[in-house]
Amino acid sequence: MLELKNVYFTVQESEENSGGLRNIIDGINFTFEDGKFYGITGPNGSGKTTLAKLIMGVNPVSQGAIIFNGQDISAWTITERAKAGIAYSFQQPARFKGITFRDLLTVATGIEDENKLLEILGRVGICPLSFLDKEVDARLSGGEIKKIELAITIAANPKLAIYDEPDTGIDLWTIGPMVSLLKKELAENHTTTIVVSHNRAFLEAADVVIIINSGKIVYSGNLEGALPLLDDLSVCTYRDSCEGDRDAGCYR
Amino acid sequence: MLDAIDKSLLKTVADLESLPKGAYNIRKNGKLLSRQVSANIHIESNAEGTGIVVTIKPGTKNESVHIPVILSQAGLYDVVYNSFIIGDDAEVTIVAGCGIHCGSSEPEGHAGIHDFHVGKRAKVTYVEKHYASGDGKGRRTLNPTTKVFLAEGARAEMELTQISGVDEANRLNEAVLGPDSLLLITERVLTDGEQTAVSTNNIVLKGAGSRANMISRSVMKGNSKQTFYATMDAQNKCFGHIECDAIIMDNGTNETMPSLKAGHPDAELTHEASIGKIASDQLTKLMSLGLTYDQAVNRIIQGFLK
Repeated sequence: MLELKNVYFTVQESEENSGGLRNIIDGINFTFEDGKFYGITGPNGSGKTTLAKLIMGVNPVSQGAIIFNGQDISAWTITERAKAGIAYSFQQPARFKGITFRDLLTVATGIEDENKLLEILGRVGICPLSFLDKEVDARLSGGEIKKIELAITIAANPKLAIYDEPDTGIDLWTIGPMVSLLKKELAENHTTTIVVSHNRAFLEAADVVIIINSGKIVYSGNLEGALPLLDDLSVCTYRDSCEGDRDAGCYR
Repeated sequence: MLDAIDKSLLKTVADLESLPKGAYNIRKNGKLLSRQVSANIHIESNAEGTGIVVTIKPGTKNESVHIPVILSQAGLYDVVYNSFIIGDDAEVTIVAGCGIHCGSSEPEGHAGIHDFHVGKRAKVTYVEKHYASGDGKGRRTLNPTTKVFLAEGARAEMELTQISGVDEANRLNEAVLGPDSLLLITERVLTDGEQTAVSTNNIVLKGAGSRANMISRSVMKGNSKQTFYATMDAQNKCFGHIECDAIIMDNGTNETMPSLKAGHPDAELTHEASIGKIASDQLTKLMSLGLTYDQAVNRIIQGFLK
């Protein structure tokens, strides 16, 4: 349903760093199949979020093509991609002044009817009335805004849902139900699901685990096969110069 | 009595489809058009004949008074002095507002100078909307002044909105807060074209336990300019906060000067101020929900000025 054909995202380095070109995403080829659950993981700065944003159109591809349900969407705007059925949960959701959760749900679904909105809230497992008229502003906690972000994405009934680190700021007890919710949406609505995460719970739920390192896909397959590679990648690159193991309580 | 233009202005500035229920005083082109008093709300012209005195009986509950002003006479600059005396323990909503319809090249303007004396434990909600319309090229000016005096335990919530069409506005808000009183001001101003708006706010936290929160939301479109001054002067153990946010669109400009003065060791004063374009993460989020760029901008501004 989604095909990445030799996709690059290239940026100009600053003068201090040679001023040359750097590929944040470095020639990725991959096909996401309809109705499957994908877990994308990899070290910090490896390009996971950048890849997810290329799919949504937040950043334009520098080279290559993104094919969605047979159409080349590489040059499409974010709006066009949203209308075609792609939804995105941001790692750091935007905060507004004067816009409520209800407003965002209405924008995402076109629904204003109170009972139907409450139905959606029931479906995403959010305590309804206390949340609906909350302003999506700086007063929300990190966990609350992530729940709202997730709920809006699900409510939009996308064909392809991308969640960028949905568990950031979420308490440990909520992660299990969150995984179940995404799996239920997939089962009931056939939503192709891509989750960018470091959390094992999401990777265990995934049909396919993808590991990205230095802008390339270095592994795709089941979690079992990914584990040895993940162990290797998690080795701290500062180990030689840092004595954190002993002194700073580094838990790597 | 009310023509189509009057009705449209009243609808915009006071949400009135027809004459309101309860007490009201409607002023048109510098003269009294219609007035009604109620058992608890008395309205009379002041001694100088330059405005009205609205007296709300102590203990009055859940009543409202509408005092809109409409202007459609070319060349008129209408100045009115209104006083509001709100009795102890009363709870009242005052809906003011000025609508100007300018159909010629002559300027038109209004200066509403309002003072509020809010009694002990009384609660007043004051809603004021300013709006100008019409095809005329005449300059439309609105220069309101509000002076608020809060007695012990009194509470005033003021919503001051300038919607559109006003070429020049120079607003002055002053307040003196007694012990344990609370003042909440929310000001929303949208300017466009070559319009200018200045808002000056001087809030004196005089009584122990007084609290004030001033929120200003400004949007500058076109080449318009807005200037915002706010001073919280804490003279006792009190709490004061100023929050001023300005969104620049097109070539608009803004100057914002929040100022905090603590004249007492237990004063707590804070302010936050921001000026800038619409944050790109907000636009991206709304576009990812299917809005176009322009729709996203409108939705954000609409919420910001809500």
